[in-house]
Amino acid sequence: MRRRERMMEDLDRDIREHIAMETQDNIERGMSPEEARYAAVRKFGNVTRVKEETREVWGFVWLEQFSQDLRFGLRMLRKSPGFTAVAVLTLALGIGANTAIFSVINAVLLKMLPVQNPHQLVLLDWASHGWPGASVLNGLSGTWHQDKSGQMTSTSFSYPIYEQIRTRNQAFSSVAALAGNGSQLNVGYKGQPGRADGELVSGMFFSTLGVEPILGRLLIADDDRNEASPVAVISYGYWQRRFGGDPGVVGRTITVNSILFTVVGVSPPEFYGIQPGRSVEVWLPLHTQPQVEPRWSPSSPEPGKNTEALPTSLFEARDHWWVLIIGRLRPDASEQQAEAGLEVILQQAIAVDVKPSSKPEAIPHLNVESGSKGLDNSRREFSKPLFILMAVVGMVLLIASINIANLMLARGTTRQKEIAVRLAVGAGRTRLVRQLLTESALLAGLGGAVGLALAFWGTDFLVALMASGRGPLNLNVSPDPRVLGFTAVISLLAGILFGLSPALRSTRLELTPNLKESAGEQLAVTNAKRGVRLRLRGALVVTQMSLSLVILVGAGLFVRTLRNLQNVNAGFNEQDLLLFGIDPTQAGYKGERLAEFYQELTRRLEALPGVRTVSLSHSTLIGGGGNFQRIRVQGYKPKSGEEVGAAINWIGPKFFETLGIPLVLGRTIADGDAERAPKVVVVNEQFVRQFLDDGQPIGRRFSLGETSGEETEIVGIVRDTKYFDLRQEAPATIYVPWLQQLDLNGAMHFEVRTADDPMKLVSAVRRVAQDMDANLALYDVKSQVAQINESLFQARLFAQLTSFFGALAALLACVGLYGVMAFAVSRRTREIGVRMALGASRAEIVEMILRETFVLLGLGIVIGILAALGAARLISSLLYGIAPNDPYTCVAVCAVLAGVALVACYIPARRAMRVDPMVALRYE
Amino acid sequence: MSTKEQKEHIELLQGTLDLLILRTLLLGRAHGHAIAKAIEFNSDDVLQVEEGSLYPALHRLIKRGWISFEEGPSENNRRAKFYRLTAKGRRQLAVETSKWDKLAGAIAQILRPAKQEGES
Repeated sequence: MRRRERMMEDLDRDIREHIAMETQDNIERGMSPEEARYAAVRKFGNVTRVKEETREVWGFVWLEQFSQDLRFGLRMLRKSPGFTAVAVLTLALGIGANTAIFSVINAVLLKMLPVQNPHQLVLLDWASHGWPGASVLNGLSGTWHQDKSGQMTSTSFSYPIYEQIRTRNQAFSSVAALAGNGSQLNVGYKGQPGRADGELVSGMFFSTLGVEPILGRLLIADDDRNEASPVAVISYGYWQRRFGGDPGVVGRTITVNSILFTVVGVSPPEFYGIQPGRSVEVWLPLHTQPQVEPRWSPSSPEPGKNTEALPTSLFEARDHWWVLIIGRLRPDASEQQAEAGLEVILQQAIAVDVKPSSKPEAIPHLNVESGSKGLDNSRREFSKPLFILMAVVGMVLLIASINIANLMLARGTTRQKEIAVRLAVGAGRTRLVRQLLTESALLAGLGGAVGLALAFWGTDFLVALMASGRGPLNLNVSPDPRVLGFTAVISLLAGILFGLSPALRSTRLELTPNLKESAGEQLAVTNAKRGVRLRLRGALVVTQMSLSLVILVGAGLFVRTLRNLQNVNAGFNEQDLLLFGIDPTQAGYKGERLAEFYQELTRRLEALPGVRTVSLSHSTLIGGGGNFQRIRVQGYKPKSGEEVGAAINWIGPKFFETLGIPLVLGRTIADGDAERAPKVVVVNEQFVRQFLDDGQPIGRRFSLGETSGEETEIVGIVRDTKYFDLRQEAPATIYVPWLQQLDLNGAMHFEVRTADDPMKLVSAVRRVAQDMDANLALYDVKSQVAQINESLFQARLFAQLTSFFGALAALLACVGLYGVMAFAVSRRTREIGVRMALGASRAEIVEMILRETFVLLGLGIVIGILAALGAARLISSLLYGIAPNDPYTCVAVCAVLAGVALVACYIPARRAMRVDPMVALRYE
Repeated sequence: MSTKEQKEHIELLQGTLDLLILRTLLLGRAHGHAIAKAIEFNSDDVLQVEEGSLYPALHRLIKRGWISFEEGPSENNRRAKFYRLTAKGRRQLAVETSKWDKLAGAIAQILRPAKQEGES
């Protein structure tokens, strides 16, 4: 740098000397002094350019010019604070919304697990066509998916398969198993009960993932043996919340489902398990399952035998699939190699169970999936909604950018003189365009920075909205380099989008007309260009209108969907109903004691003042969960690929009465339908329609289970009700007396019909349960109405967000339209004056303005409707009770936009009306 | 005046001007004006170098270390920079000259191909 300064100092003098010498030579050649000097200067060339080129030799010119541009740009922005404020705010809203949605997309879809080398992690799953035969797979715990074609996948394997993979694999440097996705455990500490999200993992879990404890130690292989003393690892969040961050927690004992465990360590703050969105709080060794979660253990009832058969251990059962398998690849192994090797192991492991009669396509085949981002579940659930929201905010940003572009075009017009002068004194056009683009980039940068700040708040709000459907959604939405990069990129793109055209346009000038003052000459030239310019801005406004229309139509559809869902008849009386869940098996109750506990609890609850009736059931309605049971009905031929089964719920005697489900035929469940009584069920009307032909349904028999298990008799028919959620039609449902399948019903939910607001009775209900057993905690305590509202969270999310963004888009489009019409009126003041002088009335002038406005509106509507119809098909799976091309919604939105257009052209029309012809004709 | 420029002189490629400067300085040190005059003179006035473009070229050569300069009095007793070749520059001149010869020879060969058989 210093060297360059020195060199450049002398250059001035060198050049002067050079020209002086040439002048001298010319004089000696016989020219006059003035001629000599003139010739010398001409021969030398452009001094400024020479200096610039020499400067460039020494580098850093780009940097100098850039900082110059920045400083100039800042000065220009400060000169017009109104424009700057409006532009920055508009951009901030658009960019902020995009960044907020992207942060969530990042957390759900893109972020890697916070472990060592996540790229080496793989998850195993399997796929088959239709359910594998019962000899291979009889019980499945965990997640599974089946699509319309019957293709099914799941991540759950049996423990013997896991053992085979663990001992015989070639591709993994280490492998682990886990179970208990979504397990709620009853954790007691210092005598206080509480619930925690728990997971059972094999000994190698933490070392496979590569996680280090921040206190104590994590689980090791030795902890995961039958004889090992039970130890537990707690999460950082749970340690803070439940144990107050006490550093002495290592070595303390806790009870988990009444079993004593010793806490050996705390996991690091950023580690949450392998499922984004879910925070595991306690990890236990897999081999503690028989004590901690005994109800998972399969019992194999044989027809005719006592139902209390010896449970097979889950660790030996070949036909119960319940563990997830995660492995870390060796550095030299590829996913394909691993998949090939593991598939062989799987087939050998199940070979002995595959019967010759099994369909070959129903045999499961192993797949290896990338595990770097953890389990799929949150992704599946939130992918589509997030992408739709991303599209919506993308359109809003586009609309906002167009507004800024229009603003800048208008500003370019006022700066024409300045630019003309600069071009006249020799500025290169590229340099000027570069400087104008820097101004745009500066604006975009400011908008991006403010937008980022807005996004912080927006992201929290968005996550809260998404979580209102279920428990807390623990997403790590803190901005990471990817989010910051995203913000920077879209700010830059927006800046180029709205800056490029104005910059190019304003520098492509005929200089002479602009430097002259005369309006008359100007008019002829600018009229032609005005036509072009207006057409461009008109096209931009039409785009804005179309985009707004698309978003508003979407909003209309979602709002109607939400309204439809809220008004749908669920088939029961959801008012004044308190729900809660309780799990006495976690305090050691089973068999007779369990049945007595529930019966006593029911009695005590009914005795409470303000309680009308009480019942219990395995699943609550519209809770998002439920069970499906395969059945065999004599005489029923299943369609191809159809799974013959129905929804099933285990209920207490007063269930239908408490929920207000009318009985149609026969009788409901009674107290007499107990364990040793004949097996009976109640079914709903849909069941009769689907599986039974005409004839008396009461007394018909069918069997629960795929193979011919014990038969059960239908004693009553009830009205249809919705079961899992509000969207699906009422499924064929079987109601089984809970006492007749006690082994399955450890945890139960209670429904309490109250005389008044159900939430008022919560503390009384809790006290009753505490009095019966202080070790038990209630969970899922809420009113039925609240539960239904929770189930509508996605519909509500969409309705709220699209309405908000639709309103924002319409507002921006309104501002854009106003800008164009105001510009048009101000440019045509002379023309209006002429018209008025020739006899046009004010009304006719206004009519002219309105006509032009509505031409733009009309174009926008036509294009927008076409786009909306196309886009609506993409969201049809999210709608309920309304078609994607619903005409009423389209008409309503068009009316809204027409209103917006009227508001936008109100002021310009008034201004046009007020033009005084005498003034206008003299206007320059 | 429009925003486009017009050139009247033959535009020498950047590298060629550097070569000519180096060659000129082989005969001894000189200041900028003298170099310009020497190039004109030695090419029989064919090469009318736009004298301004000399200076960026000179600075480029200084930056590369092929020439160096010192201050001194000129003919009219004014202070000027006198440029001379460095050892590195001398070597570079030989390399560039041979490259130029090869290039010129190749072009000449294409423009005037040697006659094949006997001449008629």
